[in-house]
Amino acid sequence: MTGQAFFVLTALAAGPRHGYGIVGEVAELSHGRVRLKIGGLYGVLERLAAEGLIEADREEAHDGRLRRYYRLTRDGRGALAEEAELRAATARIVRARLGRLSPEAAG
Amino acid sequence: MSSDLERRYRRVLRLLPGWYREQWEQDMVAAFLDSWLTGDPAADEYISRAAGPGGAEVASVAGLAVRLHLGGPGTPRRHAWAQALRRAVLAVLLVHAVLGVDVLVFLVRSRRLVGWLPAPPASLVTAASGGAWVMAYYLVSVTWIVIFVTLALGHYRTAQVLAALAIVPNLAALLQAQRTGIMPAPFGPWVFWVLIDLVPVLAMTAFHRDAPPAAPRPWLLALPAGYVLVYGPLLALQATGNSAWLPDFSGLCCILVSLACLAHAPRARSRQAAGTGLWSLTLVLLAAVAGAYRIVTLTDYLNDPHLINVSLAELLIMLTAVALVAPDAARAQAATPAPPPYPQAMTA
Repeated sequence: MTGQAFFVLTALAAGPRHGYGIVGEVAELSHGRVRLKIGGLYGVLERLAAEGLIEADREEAHDGRLRRYYRLTRDGRGALAEEAELRAATARIVRARLGRLSPEAAG
Repeated sequence: MSSDLERRYRRVLRLLPGWYREQWEQDMVAAFLDSWLTGDPAADEYISRAAGPGGAEVASVAGLAVRLHLGGPGTPRRHAWAQALRRAVLAVLLVHAVLGVDVLVFLVRSRRLVGWLPAPPASLVTAASGGAWVMAYYLVSVTWIVIFVTLALGHYRTAQVLAALAIVPNLAALLQAQRTGIMPAPFGPWVFWVLIDLVPVLAMTAFHRDAPPAAPRPWLLALPAGYVLVYGPLLALQATGNSAWLPDFSGLCCILVSLACLAHAPRARSRQAAGTGLWSLTLVLLAAVAGAYRIVTLTDYLNDPHLINVSLAELLIMLTAVALVAPDAARAQAATPAPPPYPQAMTA
């Protein structure tokens, strides 16, 4: 799972979001490090939809434009939980290794 | 009413394939405008006139367009290639099955199981009787009929397992012949095994559980029809003492692909029937296999300029015939209905 897909799924884990809402949520989650462009976002959304990890929730009119909201599917929740577990396990290993190598740990 | 900003962005979105824009353009435009507009009419009017998609935004759309045009996962182009590949695999297995039917007919004739069928020449019966390799050959030949039928009926897993087993005896025979130095030609038998046995078996992975089943009836009817169409003329040439005109197997493959291209060309060029691009793409794939086979087996005739010329003529005829359907094959993407790229909940 790419980093962008992980952030998009994480954004949707809190509830349905529309396209620009996801962009904002991802920027916030990543502390501004991941700033999705619209073309990039819809590339990710199309792939996640094709894999059955997200689906459309509803459409709402806003300032004369239709906003489409997306939500996680059951498979999407499962895939996100699995990825989160993997990343957490990797982070634990990284922290342990860095801890062993740090001057404080050595001294 | 669309603003200047919206029009500029829609112009950029024209980079994307039509089928994709149909599904996603509205939403992309809405998200893009959300990223610019503030809700304050005066400010939005100014932004709409002055702003436009920046370089990074254009680059992100261009990157998406490249991926979609090249055929990323789930795209119609990928879908078209997969469908054409499945048809090409079925066509190659049909050839195997026709060869299997020929072996069955030979066995029936040689054992006089059907009285009115003439017995094969005694020399052939003697050469083909007894021995473990000959028995394995008979068994494998008949197994290809079963593989073809099970695949056409949609029993993918059974066909895949049987096919993987069926290519093993041929490989063992080749290794044995190589070891004992009785290989009849330097490359031909190996190329047959790689291109006609191994590659189709590997390509059978395209028949996964989500692959739509082929219509079985036309494929099943193609088996007896193929036997009559191929072996009718061959037996007629033999019976009339014109065996010198018989092509070798790779030549026969080139001729069959050429005839199929010629038969399909009117439909491919008329563009009247939806989906013709897929058959053209299938024929191009088959021509690639037959062409590769023909080129490598030229080495079997290095000492015979006449047969080299005949082989090159077969190749040239096939390339000419394929050229008739190639433009249609390139349009296969447009002729293929897109897989549902968008969640069903949208329509609910």
